[in-house]
Amino acid sequence: MMLFDSVIAAACLGAAAMALFARDRIAAVAAFLVMGLLVALSWLRLGAPDVALAEAAIGAGLTGALLLRSARRVPKASAKALPPAQWLGAALLSLAVSGAILWTALIVETAAIYPALVNEALPESGVENPVTAVLLNFRAWDTLLEIAVLFAALAVIAVVKPVHPRIAPLGPMMLPFARVVLPLTIFLAGHLLWQGGHAPGGAFQAGAILAGGAIALGLSGMVRPIRWGRAALAGLAILGLGAFVVAALAAELLTGALLGYPAGAAKAWILAIESALTLSIAATLLLLFIGPAERH
Amino acid sequence: MISDFAFLISGAGLICLALFRLATSADLLMRVLGLNVLAIGIAMVLLVSARGAEGTDAVPQAFTLTGIVVLVGVTAALLALAERVAEARDE
Repeated sequence: MMLFDSVIAAACLGAAAMALFARDRIAAVAAFLVMGLLVALSWLRLGAPDVALAEAAIGAGLTGALLLRSARRVPKASAKALPPAQWLGAALLSLAVSGAILWTALIVETAAIYPALVNEALPESGVENPVTAVLLNFRAWDTLLEIAVLFAALAVIAVVKPVHPRIAPLGPMMLPFARVVLPLTIFLAGHLLWQGGHAPGGAFQAGAILAGGAIALGLSGMVRPIRWGRAALAGLAILGLGAFVVAALAAELLTGALLGYPAGAAKAWILAIESALTLSIAATLLLLFIGPAERH
Repeated sequence: MISDFAFLISGAGLICLALFRLATSADLLMRVLGLNVLAIGIAMVLLVSARGAEGTDAVPQAFTLTGIVVLVGVTAALLALAERVAEARDE
C-alpha cells in the first residue's frame, strides 16, 4: 500500500497546484473538488475515517458549491504584474514556513498522552466511537462553541445580505436523479447519525449530507420556494444551538458539571443533542448557501 | 512509516503552495480558495502527527473535524463579504 499512499499524496499536491494556479475559475473550483476527495481518501488511509467523511461532505462538497456559486459574482482582480522581488519573497517565505513545519513534525517526539486517557474514559462516555466521545462528551464545550461560530457566520451573512443564486431549471435527467438521490441522502443522514455512536459518522457528517441533498433539490428548479421557508430554516438553525445550551444548563443543574451527563444516561443525552444538531447543521449550511434573508 | 512521510510531505507542500498563492494573488475568490487549501494542509500535518502505535489519536481528529466545520462558516462569510465588496465598487 506504500505505493498507493505515495501516489495519493502526490496527487493531492498536483490537484492543489491546479486549483491554485488555474486561469479559469470554474477549472480551479473543479480541481479544488478533486483535491478535497483525494485528501479525504488520504485521511482514510491515515486512520481518520470520521474526518475523511466530514472533509468529503463539507470541505470538498459544500465549500466547492459555495465557491462555484460565487465564481461568477466576485469580479476578477486586474492582473497587475508583480515585481520580481515580491515573487521571490513570497516563494522564500512560503518555502521557509512549510519547511519549518515539516522539520518540526519530523524531529519533535510527541508524547501521546491522549489515547490512554480517552481509552480509559471511553466506557463511561456512553458511546464507543472515540471521536464522537471527544466531540460530544469530553470536549463537548468546544463543540458547543463551534456551533456558536457557525451561527455567527450566518449572522454575518444576514447582515451583509448577498444576492441569491439564480436558479435555472436543469435538464430532463434532473428529476430521475433527484428521485433516487434525495431519499438516499435522508436515509444516509439518519444512518450516519445513529452510526456515529459506535463507528465513523456523527452529527456533522449527517447534517452536511442533508444540506447537500437540499441544495441539489433547490438547484434542480423542481420545487417552488416556500414563502416562510427561510424563517423556518433560521428557526431550525437556532434550535441546535438552543438545545445544546439547554442541555448544558440542565446537566449543570443535575450533576453540577457543565455538560457532565448523568451517569448511565450519557448515550441518550448524546443522541438527543446530536439529533438536534444534525437538523440544525443542515439548516445552517443550507442557509449559508442560499442566504438567510430575502433582499429588498 | 514511508506512507506517513509521504502524507507529511504532501501536507507541508499544500501549506507551501497555499501560502505562495495567498501572498501573490489579489483575486478575492482565489484567496478564499487558498485559505481552504492552507487549512487542509495544516489538518494533514496534524493528522500525520496524531499517528501512534495504537491507531490515530482521537483528540487531534476532533480538532480537525471542528476546524473543517468552522472553515466552511468562515468561507461562506468571506465569500458574502467579497460579493458585497464587488457591488460596492460598482455603485
